[in-house]
Amino acid sequence: MSHGYLFLSGPVGSSGAVVPHHRSSRYFLMALAALVLGFFLAMSSAWADDGAGVPNAVPPKGEHEGKNVEQPIEFPHNIHVDVNKINCMYCHTYARRSKVAGIPPTSKCMGCHLVIATDKPRIKKLTEYWEKKEPPRWKKVHDVPDFVHFTHEKHLKRFVFDNEGMSVDRVSEVCAFCHGEVKKMTVAHKVKPLNMGFCARCHEANKGPFDCWKCHK
Amino acid sequence: MSLNNILTNWSRYRKGAEEGGFHEYEHQWGMVVDLNKCIGCNACSVACYAENNLPVVGEKRCGKNQAMNWLRIERYWDEPDLEPYNATPSANIDAWIEGNPPAKKTELKPSMPSSYLPGLLEEGGQNFEQRVGFGGTKSEFQDFGASFLPMMCQQCHAATCEPVCPVAATYHTPDGLNAQVYNRCIGSRYCSNNCPYRLRYFNFWSYYEDAWPEPLHMQLNPDLSVRDKGVMEKCTFCIQRIRVAKDKAKMEDRKVIDGEFSTACVQTCPTGALVFGDMQNPDSQVSKLWSYHQVERGKTKQSKQNKELRGYRVLEGLNTDPSVLYLERVREV
Amino acid sequence: MSGNDINRRDFLKILGWSGVGVAVAGCDRPTTVTLEEGKEEVVAYLQPEEYVIPGVGVWFASTCQQCPAGCGVHGRVREGRVLKMEGNPDSPINKGKLCQMGQAGVQGHYNPDRLKKPMLRKGGALAEVSWEEALAALEQKVGPASGLAGDRFAWFTGTVSGHQSVLLSAHLAAMGSKNHFIHETINNAVARAVNQDMLGEAMPRYDLPAAKMVLSFGADLVGAGTSPVHFSGEYAKFRTGATRGVLVQVEPKMTLTGGSADLWVAIRPGTEGVLALGIANQVLLGDEIKVAGLPENIRTLIAAYDVKKVASITGVTGDRIMRIAELLKQRSPSLVVAGASVEGHTHGYQSAAAIMVLNIVLGNVGKTILPSGSSAFPQMEAKTGGTRDLLALADAADKKALDVVFFHGANPVYTAPAALGLTDKLKNIPFKVVFAVHPDETAMSADLVLPILSAHEDWGTHMGAYQPEQKSISIQQPLMERLYPDTKGFGDLLLALLKARQVKEYESFADYYGYLKNAFAALPASVKGDAVSDEDFWGKSLQKGVLNVGTVAGALNPKMVEISFPEFKSDAQDYYLVPSARLGLWDGRHANLPWLQEAPDQISKVVWTSWVEMHPATAAKLGVKEGDFVKVSSAQGAVEAQVYVYKGIHPQVIAVPMGQGHEEYGRYAKGRGVNPLKILAPVTDAKTGELALYGTRVTVAQSGRREVLVKLMGSETQLGRKMVGTVTASVFDRTEGAKNVT
Repeated sequence: MSHGYLFLSGPVGSSGAVVPHHRSSRYFLMALAALVLGFFLAMSSAWADDGAGVPNAVPPKGEHEGKNVEQPIEFPHNIHVDVNKINCMYCHTYARRSKVAGIPPTSKCMGCHLVIATDKPRIKKLTEYWEKKEPPRWKKVHDVPDFVHFTHEKHLKRFVFDNEGMSVDRVSEVCAFCHGEVKKMTVAHKVKPLNMGFCARCHEANKGPFDCWKCHK
Repeated sequence: MSLNNILTNWSRYRKGAEEGGFHEYEHQWGMVVDLNKCIGCNACSVACYAENNLPVVGEKRCGKNQAMNWLRIERYWDEPDLEPYNATPSANIDAWIEGNPPAKKTELKPSMPSSYLPGLLEEGGQNFEQRVGFGGTKSEFQDFGASFLPMMCQQCHAATCEPVCPVAATYHTPDGLNAQVYNRCIGSRYCSNNCPYRLRYFNFWSYYEDAWPEPLHMQLNPDLSVRDKGVMEKCTFCIQRIRVAKDKAKMEDRKVIDGEFSTACVQTCPTGALVFGDMQNPDSQVSKLWSYHQVERGKTKQSKQNKELRGYRVLEGLNTDPSVLYLERVREV
Repeated sequence: MSGNDINRRDFLKILGWSGVGVAVAGCDRPTTVTLEEGKEEVVAYLQPEEYVIPGVGVWFASTCQQCPAGCGVHGRVREGRVLKMEGNPDSPINKGKLCQMGQAGVQGHYNPDRLKKPMLRKGGALAEVSWEEALAALEQKVGPASGLAGDRFAWFTGTVSGHQSVLLSAHLAAMGSKNHFIHETINNAVARAVNQDMLGEAMPRYDLPAAKMVLSFGADLVGAGTSPVHFSGEYAKFRTGATRGVLVQVEPKMTLTGGSADLWVAIRPGTEGVLALGIANQVLLGDEIKVAGLPENIRTLIAAYDVKKVASITGVTGDRIMRIAELLKQRSPSLVVAGASVEGHTHGYQSAAAIMVLNIVLGNVGKTILPSGSSAFPQMEAKTGGTRDLLALADAADKKALDVVFFHGANPVYTAPAALGLTDKLKNIPFKVVFAVHPDETAMSADLVLPILSAHEDWGTHMGAYQPEQKSISIQQPLMERLYPDTKGFGDLLLALLKARQVKEYESFADYYGYLKNAFAALPASVKGDAVSDEDFWGKSLQKGVLNVGTVAGALNPKMVEISFPEFKSDAQDYYLVPSARLGLWDGRHANLPWLQEAPDQISKVVWTSWVEMHPATAAKLGVKEGDFVKVSSAQGAVEAQVYVYKGIHPQVIAVPMGQGHEEYGRYAKGRGVNPLKILAPVTDAKTGELALYGTRVTVAQSGRREVLVKLMGSETQLGRKMVGTVTASVFDRTEGAKNVT
């Protein structure tokens, strides 16, 4: 067992840690999801996700041949992003508020899938997880070493929110800097090396901070 | 991140005292330790263990000086020559009973052998010589209690640890800190040999193997790494807390506010003897204390207008230019 | 400073693991970390609370349970794990600060040697059983059908307060028993008795900042005392401001407080009361008005102790005595306090009373010693005790007067002197039940061990043993999900015990949480402040962690008691044993916390083991030096440890610190060092019946072995360098003083 997931299988994780919220009814969730989704849909539009179109930015260079990782549910990023034009940050909502982008909680999936595509096998599987009150155990694809301090929120601030000429609905182009064209994938696979050279080249090109302790911890 | 780059940054920030290198700093974190308030209770030291993933090494390794206490409280038994009254049974006790107590001694006698470490003597001039005792009083007992001294990395501007690192793993940050890059460190231990304060700690063992038996490891702070064998480490002024505060300020497009955060030791100190803050901010509490005590950065010899002020830096005469200001302990005589 | 203060409703319901890659970085073991895709798992919340942001720590208020002081804490929680304790700035006790024991609370919670399952003694050995079996055994022995007579049942606890105390009292009432033994080895029971008799209040309030001088007879105010963090904060105020207070500490062995003294005075153990009267004598010299105001018996008593006589009894030189008296006269109001080294003698009460006489002579009562009064909720106030109940338990067990005893928060098997024969006598109690977090000596000798939640997992309310001017109830709430599913909350168990006794009042509560919530709703409007509803009040209370409650005013009525001392014989043949207490291991309850084992003793700087302190003159006489093993023997037994030599101890005194010498208690404590409590003579203070902890005489002999004493300290002296500078107080007054620069 890898220790990266040590705490997920530890004594606490296995006890009733995932009791559903007593206040939120299904209908409340659905209504909320519909409202927010509508907002994000309106903002989305089709752009090429190679990152070249992002103003005031030099996309980092580097390739990585990631392997295909089998996930508990073959989550189709392409349907969500490319077909339905859902903004990345609708699901990875912590990206602009925390160092981590976060995997969406199961409740968020169910917000839509209580009504949408309920007959599809993948959604049936999801519903099973929801009803068993056990979130799916996703396999980690993108990772940086534990001695690295990487923060999503500051990168989004630099390339999206504080970037003149850039709009939030095009955030997937910035995500693509490090995650590649996820909208063309089903489950994500790693296409960028995410190593120190990759980071350092980008910091050099985009005049990011160069102090060791900015990133090492 | 080339070595070249490191060296450029290094020389940019690590300027000699004469050049006043710190003017270019974004922040410059500093500390004040008031020995009038410090009671030597050790809360700061344990808080540091809790915050910084310091391993517990056990009795045998403690005996080999391998303890990893980034912040330690030194306790000295020697006393300056401040004898309140003659400490031996008084011959003229009868005169005393009759209401004629001996005169109170307020003059401090120089008791320092002048041949000892002549370089250090220059540090405080005559004042220094007057104040420092050597080897305790002649008294039978520890009349003035103990002398406690919390010692954490002094975050020197002219740090003696930095220039000796063969791989530039220890360097100066734009915040004026002496930082240790664990990934770069090859464990030569030159820095530790060169630190006059003995405040660098070497991982002689892979402590993670037995320092945190399950589930103790669940307490480890995810904001900083667990260091492995062969790596030097030291007090960082809780750089992870600095980072959170700076990130937060940046996200809110403002400057870091004085007192918004502090290091683990400062936050827990039961008597408030420790103060932490940004010395580039003239309104911060640390800046005010440094200027009140007329101690200036970038100097090897202070020229205080009021020689009685308590502020001093430990071993300042060695030209290390530390960021920690100590305020002398006070005793009624 | 506490980051995101969260108005949390049902915290237990949201704890879980966030599924984010780098979140658990610090916890990984370097060799097992992998970046390989698909090797590690990430699990998201099923449904997060809106304030839970992965990668961002949140703080929750709770109460520290490491000693009876009851400091408020903020626990930092990330991804469902509690990581770090900080002081709660809203607590009037510790005002945002915390001591090393509080910091180390998380190590008690995450301790690798915690009790995880109930254990029942079967055929001589403890065996793990299910809760069903454990509770069935309990029901059989103490249930209504057991036929257990009320007076044959007892609770034996440490200090209790808050709603646990209310439930515990209710349980005793339901059992028809009055037997509640309360035991603390580090206590101020004798001084409390003196305060009660002479002032009419057991624990008056000390106004340290108002005092211009503190004369402490062995009271470790900032160390192992009643409320270390509170008094440390008060100490800082006392030492700064317009007039820097002077601290004179008189004691046989230097305590942590003694380390900060302006004048530290070694005294022959047991003669502190005499010195106090001698000082009173000096203070009154030439002050006829004051003398005339004193009762005749006190006047006569004080007059008998002139400085020469006192010097010869106490071993404190005459000029010292006069100096202290002079300082006291100059610096009014002052505060004179008595500590463990005064209390721990057969005439401890007399000495402490003599010290209170000095306070009365100096006019301190009403100025620095103030009435504490009581809170609006007396039933919630801390019930604390000393060692008298330890003797009472031994006695009751000896007489076969008890059938069932419940133990909680006390470890009498470890703290009882061997001379009490407690281990053997406890065999006369057929059914001993221990509610414990860790496998201490008492638990391992019990018949039923019930594993309870750690302080960071459980609910509760507490009132500190010492209440400052603003009285408060501090709330303890879980900082994380329980680590072990087979552990139960102490309050929940108390409630279950009450229900088993069919106490109507408690039948409607599903659990202790529900009971607490209801109790909060029932509080009067004066406490609820601006809360708009019960739910709002509950949420606000949890967020703040502290409920400030009103005070019922009290009054101090100074009254004299009869004071007489035994004859002090000069006997140079043997030594006084001081079983010293240290802020850290406390009475031994923290010996299982590795941080506190590795945190050096503040005075000797020794780590991980026991040592024997002695004066250089004593060491020379015995022909030993630091590191030599010596055997310290009393009539009741012997301990062997290494010598530490320094000048902060009386030459007739041998000090061995409490805390080590555990026979059980997990990997960090077991078999480490020695327990000086074991060799204490079973002598008591004549008036209060408390154990005279400092009343044992010992002989010391070299044992011929020698090892390096492990200390976290390089040089004992500064070698002429200016490490610690010192200035005189007059300089400080000139340059800072009232200028309020800090």
